Amino acid sequence: MTNRKLLEEARLWLIGIPVLLWTLIPIYHIFLFSISTKDSAFSGRLWPEHPTLRNFGTVFKQEHFYLHNFWNQIWNSLWIAVAVGAITLAIATGAAFAISRLKVRGGRTVMNAALFTYFIPAAFLAVPMYKAMGNYGLLNSRWSLVLAMVTIASPYAIWVLKQASDKLPWELDEAARIDGATPLQLFRLVYLPLMVPSLVAIFTYALLLAWNEYLYAFLLLSHENTIPLAVGLGHFLASDDSPWEILMATALIYGMPPAAIYYAFRRYMVGGLTAGAVKA
Amino acid sequence: MASVAFSRVEKSFGHTKVLHGISLEIADGEFMVLVGPSGCGKSTLLRMLAGLEEISGGEIAIDGRVVNDLDSKDRDIAMVFQSYALYPHMTVAENMGFSLRLRNDSKARIEDRVAHAARILNLGHFLKRYPRELSGGQRQRVAMGRAIVRDPKVFLFDEPLSNLDAKLRVAMRAEIKALHQRLKTTTVYVTHDQVEAMTMADRIAVMNDGRIEQLGRPLELYDRPANLFVAQFIGSPAMNVFDGVYRNGAVEALGARWPCNARANEGQSVKYGIRPVHFDLAFDQTAGIETEVVVVEPMGAETELVVRIGDQSLTVVTHGRSSAGPGDKLSLAPSAKHAHLFDAASGLRL
Repeated sequence: MTNRKLLEEARLWLIGIPVLLWTLIPIYHIFLFSISTKDSAFSGRLWPEHPTLRNFGTVFKQEHFYLHNFWNQIWNSLWIAVAVGAITLAIATGAAFAISRLKVRGGRTVMNAALFTYFIPAAFLAVPMYKAMGNYGLLNSRWSLVLAMVTIASPYAIWVLKQASDKLPWELDEAARIDGATPLQLFRLVYLPLMVPSLVAIFTYALLLAWNEYLYAFLLLSHENTIPLAVGLGHFLASDDSPWEILMATALIYGMPPAAIYYAFRRYMVGGLTAGAVKA
Repeated sequence: MASVAFSRVEKSFGHTKVLHGISLEIADGEFMVLVGPSGCGKSTLLRMLAGLEEISGGEIAIDGRVVNDLDSKDRDIAMVFQSYALYPHMTVAENMGFSLRLRNDSKARIEDRVAHAARILNLGHFLKRYPRELSGGQRQRVAMGRAIVRDPKVFLFDEPLSNLDAKLRVAMRAEIKALHQRLKTTTVYVTHDQVEAMTMADRIAVMNDGRIEQLGRPLELYDRPANLFVAQFIGSPAMNVFDGVYRNGAVEALGARWPCNARANEGQSVKYGIRPVHFDLAFDQTAGIETEVVVVEPMGAETELVVRIGDQSLTVVTHGRSSAGPGDKLSLAPSAKHAHLFDAASGLRL
């Protein structure tokens, strides 16, 4: 190895190691808390004297004041995330197909509008959204959060899927048209199968966005039985003496599904989300 | 099977007119080749027949029925694309049977038709494979299979061999021709390769700049090109053409007299055209026109020579081997009956 290469390698490590620590230390902290007993949680040790899994038992059996609705809330999280993923996917796929493959009139305008929504931070829209959901009588219904998250996720999803669609060879559509395919058959039999990687990526993106959402969930849902776990976790901080070890155990459980989903679909995530990033 | 008729067909993209009133009749069972340089409008014309491009003016009829406003799928045509356009997620059999599946044919019938096409094209072993597992030539055959399976009125080919290497191209050329002789389906074939056009066509339409320059059988175009464009486009190596003046039954050009059987007005400015194969050689320099050899390209069966006379380079093809080397003097005797004369101003044949 030449000196130059060695230097290059060293520089990468120099950047890589701090980034790795930066990422892992908080997660390690969560883990540490979750296997500690209440008194040893703040001992400052790197490994608890008496590691325990009792905190997880407490969570699963809903044996704490803040956890009386744990299963209910995690179910809400899941329900909302899957609904957002599915609806966003349906909307974005339809839009991308219509704009990219059927070349419908006004497609460009829709794309520009989608891009424009990025100039407005989601937090700015929180109050108007609250008002709108109130007008529709949806406050405190899981649907209010689903609709809000679909609204936020769709523009990006349309954008990414449109770019990915543009990469499919145009001749395939023409061949299918000559073979006698109607637009719907083209969509179902040719377009969808070829778009699977991007569709998985977008579904995952929307699902995780909804799963991780706090602000809108906190705003639109307030009943113990309708809130997702993200908001439920926030409630822990309401008391002066928060049960940190249980909060962290819950957080660790809450963080598992996204990690699993990301791991399962990582191939699609990288390929699918960057598909539209640069023009090949 | 069916006839195809274009009458005064026009195409514009925005304000740019790319086809200027094309009229062309293709007979039932005929193999028609549209040939021309890129951008001449040949592919556009084919795509209009396929229903993939709007028709800006005029009419296109298949079997006497005007199809201007018909969808592609209702025109009963099949098309083979340059990029093959095979569905990557379907096996060879599914690719070939896709059109039948779309029109709800029974499974047994689809299998039957696919097997039949696979037999014709020697694809029997590949039916379960995916396009990515096939070579270029095999993919092209699958694309053809997809067309055959439908038993359409007209086959359309859009530069189907351009993505193949030279050797495969020659083989596929023969295959497509044999296929046509077997199926006798009316075929419209677009290519920019004049060799493909010459070897495959019943008739050729040479196109340039959105117009048909000449329509005729391959050898007709070769022997009697209607104008300079066709003369220089058809034939390989290309015809030698240079300026001259017609006097006393021959053309005075490049300081020599070039014999010709064609007639022009005395003193008329003409272009003299002669194909590389239509020279007789003599090394003794007494008869014929004296030139200097610049490049010698032995091809085995024949030898291609580039010779110079004044500032003009000419290509000469001789049968067999040539002992000439660069710098040698070479005396050329052009064959008068094979010489072509074109009007210098209009480029039309005299």
